[in-house]
Amino acid sequence: MSKSKMSNWSLGLAAAAVALTLSANAFAFDAAALKSAPKVQGVGMNITDAAIKPWNISYFYDGTNLPDGKGTVSAGEKIYQEQCAMCHGDFGEGAHGYPKMVGDPVDQFEASAKAGVDAVSNRGLNNNWGNAPTLMDMIHRHMPFYAPGTLTTDEAYSVTCYVMNLASIPGVGDDFVCDKTSLPKIKMPGEPLYVTNSGPDTANQRCMKDCYKGTPFVVEKAASIGNVSVGKVKAKDTQ
Amino acid sequence: MSENMINTVPEGTKKTGEASSDRRKFLRKSVALAAGGAAIAATSAANAGDGLKTWTTPLKNEPTRHMLGRGVVSVPYGLPSKYESGVVRRNVGWLTADTIASISFTPWQDLHGIITPNGLHFERYHAGAVDVDPSKHHLVVHGMVKQPMIFTVDDLKRLPSHTAIHFLECPANGAMEWRGVQMDSLQFTHGMMSCSEWTGVKLTTLMEMVGVDPKATWFYGEGTDGSALQRSVPMEGAVDQHGRPIPAEYTSHYRDAMVCYAQNGEALRPENGYPIRLFIPGFEANISTKYLRRLMFVDKPLVTYQETKHYIEVLPNGMVRQYDLVNEANSVINYPCPDFKLNGKGTYEIRGIAWSGYGKIAHVDVSVDGGKNWKQANLVEPVLNKCVTKFTLPFEWDGEEALIMSRATDETGYVQPTLKQLREVRGFNSIYHKNSIQVWKIEKTGEVKNVQIENV
Ligand code: HEC
Repeated sequence: MSKSKMSNWSLGLAAAAVALTLSANAFAFDAAALKSAPKVQGVGMNITDAAIKPWNISYFYDGTNLPDGKGTVSAGEKIYQEQCAMCHGDFGEGAHGYPKMVGDPVDQFEASAKAGVDAVSNRGLNNNWGNAPTLMDMIHRHMPFYAPGTLTTDEAYSVTCYVMNLASIPGVGDDFVCDKTSLPKIKMPGEPLYVTNSGPDTANQRCMKDCYKGTPFVVEKAASIGNVSVGKVKAKDTQ
Repeated sequence: MSENMINTVPEGTKKTGEASSDRRKFLRKSVALAAGGAAIAATSAANAGDGLKTWTTPLKNEPTRHMLGRGVVSVPYGLPSKYESGVVRRNVGWLTADTIASISFTPWQDLHGIITPNGLHFERYHAGAVDVDPSKHHLVVHGMVKQPMIFTVDDLKRLPSHTAIHFLECPANGAMEWRGVQMDSLQFTHGMMSCSEWTGVKLTTLMEMVGVDPKATWFYGEGTDGSALQRSVPMEGAVDQHGRPIPAEYTSHYRDAMVCYAQNGEALRPENGYPIRLFIPGFEANISTKYLRRLMFVDKPLVTYQETKHYIEVLPNGMVRQYDLVNEANSVINYPCPDFKLNGKGTYEIRGIAWSGYGKIAHVDVSVDGGKNWKQANLVEPVLNKCVTKFTLPFEWDGEEALIMSRATDETGYVQPTLKQLREVRGFNSIYHKNSIQVWKIEKTGEVKNVQIENV
């Protein structure tokens, strides 16, 4: 690891070491994977971290790499009205089919999922977003949709602050200031719901004969849901 | 009835060519008298011309017989016949607010092999397709490495190359069918998947060049388009943001990853990430960042927008599952399918495609009676790792209603689930990874419909 590299990473590594209690070995990727990799010389260039910096724009869930600068809810409100509301709605309710900022309260979201009724259409920052720093990341890199990457750092902090305020994220009151130390401390309401995949979750068997008794209950298209015509291709006669 | 044919006629009641002629009866008798070994030849003799209408009008020449055609390079980059103009990518207007953050579908109903022609590869954008100038484009590899490096596209082409045929599938393939039957076309039920020969540099070659720190457990790629899309990719030892391990099934896929510059032998198409893209065989396509400009090796996931909001499953216990990375075994019959109508009873060849993000396809079984009885289909070579495999099975249709379906098993023994099994674990709020057995219903009219079997 180069010297300048260390400074970039020392913070993140220290944080990970504290947060996780697994043995050191568990962190290693299998270097054997590289055994068969060809040895190459004279291709490409070395590059300094300073040269990479303008591209090094990923803000981690825990706040690693968040930029200097700050933003306020009130400054964010103005930016939101001018550059965001036309797609995400004046109150974050979504407009013209673009995503909502504000969804069902998290307990209602959870209850809908448990009841097997539609929970996904009413997702928002208040029920299905894990960490405030990655909200800042998303907005700074990808929004406003028609001019991605054009917000200044302070503008991005401000509008991030405003949409969290709009979605009633606990702790983000009207006077809240968003910066690289305040964002990682925010507890997003949906965060406790995240679980990690644990591999295949179905176990079908390869039955070949008399696999079930009775008749299959066959459901054809419900009239109430969308229909699409594929024009000429549909129902082309076989030759 | 031939051993490897599947039919909708109960064994024992079937009489080949029921509208039989005297000639036919005669042949049957002689077969009965002949030695057993002659049965196959006799069957085909008995079938010759049997029960078919007769063409009597003298044949005419087609107009092309008496004219000159186009000269070479009249079409410098060749295009399909004008009669194939219906074979195109399509989108579904109501799925997304606009076409810039949207998806289009590959018309598998019109494809006959395992390769998707480049112009028909499905598209998925988060900020539209861009035209990146390859002479100005660079790839940076940095993070937990001995030496950060930067490469031009020509540098990457100079490095040892790797070529392999793999499918690439958006995990939303089939998403519209979770809650009920919706799309009456194979293009829309399974078209968010394409299969190509990919060429590029293996990720491990680049990892060796920059000297990745063995403590790195994740890396991510980032694109140079408006979404600057980024996704975290686990390596051995990866744990999530809560310290929970990523399953071992997912931590070695990166070994086959490549930075691609070619697709089916020619440069990537702008729609698919020109001039370079990341490609991780077997994983959901969103992770294979297009317009790739940066790879960073790290020791934790980013938990990006894509990982927190988009590519997650809302489970029936109210939890939200992350890092569902592999597209598990899937298959579908692409002939017959709702995009065709059967032209009378008799023999057809059931054909389909199967694929798995865990490895090779081991078997595909086909049922024509709603999943009560199955027959193993023939796999058409090549059968490759994380690649579309074509299967076929002769089918004799008796003109009655039939429920046809295919079920893939991959080399790990994973068997494609039924929709019921999938709904039992994922509920009705899922969007992604719907790889359940697809049922088509053949109507008496020969029309084919998309249906679901709910109880088995
Ligand atoms: C022209 C319409 C448009 C405008 C204006 C716009 N957005 Fe978006 N926004 C989108 C689209 C489309 C997506 C989904 C992007 C994707 O699929 O990757 C999105 C997604 C988002 C998301 C993620 C939410 C989710 O649930 O998917 C956030 C947060 C967001 N926008 C914030 C903003 C902010 C802040 C602004 C103003 C600075 C803004 N947007 C302006 C169209 C817009």
